[in-house]
Amino acid sequence: MEEARVRMKTDEYIVEMKNITKRFPGVVANDDVSISIKKGEVFAILGENGAGKSTLMSMLFGMYEPDAGEIFVRGEKVKIDSPNEAVRLDIGMVHQHFKLVENYTVSESIVLGIEPIKHLLGVIPYVDIKSANKAVQELSQRYGLEIEPTKKIEDLQVYARQRVEILKMLYREAEILIFDEPTAVLTPQEIDYLLGIIEKLRESGKTIILITHKLEEIKRVADRCAILNRGKLVDVLDVETTSTAEMARLMVGRDVLMEVDKPKAQFGEEVLIVENLFVEDMNHFAVVKDVSFSVRRGEIFAIAGVSGNGQVEVADAISGMLPIKSGKVSLNGRDITDLPVKERTDAGISYIPEDRQSMGLILDLSLAENLVLKSYHDAPYSRGEILNKDAFLQHAKEMIEAYDIRSGGGATGMVRQMSGGNQQKAIVGREIELGSDLMIFVQPTRGLDIGAITGIRERMIEQRAAGKAILLISLELDEIMAMADTIGVMYSGEMQKITSADDITSEEVGEYMMGVKHA
Amino acid sequence: METIIIDGLSYALPLFIIAIGGIYSERSGIINLALEGLLGFGAFTGGLFVALLGKYFTHAGWPIYLSFLVAAIGGGIFALLHALLTIKFKANQVISGVVVNIVSVALTGFLTSQINASVFDQPSNRFLLSVLPRYTIPVLSDIPVIGAIFKNVYPFSFMIVVLFIIFWYIFRHSRYGMHLRACGDNPQAADAAGINVYRTRFWAVVISGALAGIGGMSFAYSISTNFSPAVYMGAGYLAIAALIFGNWNIMPTLFACLIFGFARSGAYQLMRELALPSSFSDLAMTIPYVLTLLLLIFFSKTNKAPRALGEIYDKSKR
Ligand SMILES: Nc1ncnc2c1ncn2[C@@H]1O[C@H](COP(=O)(O)OP(=O)(O)OP(=O)(O)O)[C@@H](O)[C@H]1O
Ligand SMILES: [Mg+2]
Repeated sequence: MEEARVRMKTDEYIVEMKNITKRFPGVVANDDVSISIKKGEVFAILGENGAGKSTLMSMLFGMYEPDAGEIFVRGEKVKIDSPNEAVRLDIGMVHQHFKLVENYTVSESIVLGIEPIKHLLGVIPYVDIKSANKAVQELSQRYGLEIEPTKKIEDLQVYARQRVEILKMLYREAEILIFDEPTAVLTPQEIDYLLGIIEKLRESGKTIILITHKLEEIKRVADRCAILNRGKLVDVLDVETTSTAEMARLMVGRDVLMEVDKPKAQFGEEVLIVENLFVEDMNHFAVVKDVSFSVRRGEIFAIAGVSGNGQVEVADAISGMLPIKSGKVSLNGRDITDLPVKERTDAGISYIPEDRQSMGLILDLSLAENLVLKSYHDAPYSRGEILNKDAFLQHAKEMIEAYDIRSGGGATGMVRQMSGGNQQKAIVGREIELGSDLMIFVQPTRGLDIGAITGIRERMIEQRAAGKAILLISLELDEIMAMADTIGVMYSGEMQKITSADDITSEEVGEYMMGVKHA
Repeated sequence: METIIIDGLSYALPLFIIAIGGIYSERSGIINLALEGLLGFGAFTGGLFVALLGKYFTHAGWPIYLSFLVAAIGGGIFALLHALLTIKFKANQVISGVVVNIVSVALTGFLTSQINASVFDQPSNRFLLSVLPRYTIPVLSDIPVIGAIFKNVYPFSFMIVVLFIIFWYIFRHSRYGMHLRACGDNPQAADAAGINVYRTRFWAVVISGALAGIGGMSFAYSISTNFSPAVYMGAGYLAIAALIFGNWNIMPTLFACLIFGFARSGAYQLMRELALPSSFSDLAMTIPYVLTLLLLIFFSKTNKAPRALGEIYDKSKR
């Protein structure tokens, strides 16, 4: 591996962005940023949520044009005014939020825009899906990206959709591959696989730009790392000679604690009791089987498990998003098994869903409106049927402060225009502020920078100290181990083990997660 | 039985070509309630063309065929209104469709009277068309029962079958068809793949106008042998129902159109057989619509509209 690094990296710059400035209303997303990327290297970009990473790369991919500055590709000055132009320059990008046509097959999606054409009777053109399938098959084998070319996109899981996006770039023979937080949506196993792919791509001579919040990923695959802070370039580091702590410090601009202080738990009475819960998915397939547990006041109960083993469905069933097949859920002694979502919220449930864009936020409403999405019908936000917009704004100001939500447009800016991580902070803040007795957090720190993660975790501890019952569902073992008082491990829809966090090591949790060890 | 099949087909096929137009527009992401107005305007331009030719030439055979081309052009040009409003000016697509319909009825009514008065010196709200010849295919038409399909066929029926094959092929197998379907599902994804969403949608709407124009012209010939406000009899809306029932796909929509066509001709036949007074025919006219409603209620629960249908595409959103 090390040899490959040396062999492939040349000193020839393939991309140079010079003195780039990009402003959006109310914010300078990039402020005089200059970076140069060598051919064949993995170049990481690190920075807090809203630091301007996606914006900078969007300009390289032609989605925005810089207000000032120049871009050089292979030494030539270029004007990239559309993704088309970027593709012509052999630049490809996998976006933070995928862009795929749901009702197309994998290979149709990949060839879209540059379809192979054959001629019927030598004259009538048609799109040759067969050879597209073949080409995709070949590409997928060449780079070890397993995928079924004839499957429909709508039937694919997140990781597979991401592979389609990567294959899309490779099919277009992109040489410069931009990945915008590719690992935020993946499980640890899938991350491992993806990083392997990235290494393979670089071995085959591709240049890779990787945006990520995870320092260990940078350590593993990147050669150099640029650090952005509030739109400005802080430094470009050699990854091998820099410690992760140093990177984190530069990124946030101060020393960051990566661990939160967690005082001893004080458990009270049981808030949530789940008894013999069974849940089915849309195809009447049992996804949660006979799960029972309870969460007490002042307790963080974490459910660990490999993605797709029923954890999210447990949360959805408790919050009312999924119907309960059988079993009983009670909150503060009240049976809520059959209550509609709104009544559950009122009964005292906060919920941070897994998919923030479709379930947690209304992208075309303002930040202020999104922050009161669950409480606008109560005082002080409305009197009778009349909404009190001033109260919205006042509340939003406090929240922006408290949760460090960075929005260029401020409280009245559209959520769609906020950076991914700041959208997440808004949801987390809103749900915590509901002050519910039970708080369900599904992947609360996904897509957040290290500083923000610490911030959210501190908030969770605060809520625990205030006597709330917290149900945490996370794919990241580190998060589970850092936060939980009690750990439940799910495998294949069943609760394998429930134990105090003090009595189990992360290795053991891992074994239960894989189904190798049984209680 | 024969009449039911013959009349049913001559109603179903024009309906079908209008519905194909609707599918093009809606699968590209633009709701098209304007079909009614487009078919009317197409029929108007075709009718005007025939009338003008009739004034300067004696009625030969060929203006009949040319009139369909002119109707397609007329429908396509009128569809520019819907395309501009919804794509360029990002107007609400439902409202734009309704506006196009209203403008079409008013404009064609006004223009027909004015042109009749000034050019032809006769007060009338219609353009007379000639009676279309009808063809019977030998041998095939001798097959029992289904032979009726090949009896007394209007020339436009042949034309529509050819157009159907061409536009089905374009929709399913051509590059444009693939781009069009992508635009109606996820315009951002289409854009990222280098497709010009605005242009793709623009042409889809224009095509829907042209096809609706051909359908409208067919109705003008077959139902009343003239262009008059009577062409606005709801076929455009029925075509929308058919394409929804057909789940925005061409083949199932053909099936839906046939059902509507036969329901209609069957109802007429029933009236005739029972020798009911003609006032009942108004009632019979409602049968295809009632049928539509019932079919939609029972069979369309699982139907899925194109994901981005009605979504105003704005490049700058992410
Ligand atoms: N289209 C837009 N309109 C207005 N403001 C925008 C737009 N896109 C980005 N911004 C603003 O620019 C700033 C930088 O956003 P960007 O998405 O580049 O951040 P990021 O570094 O990718 O953050 P994250 O880690 O959360 O994804 C943010 O303040 C954001 O609100
Ligand atoms: Mg980003």
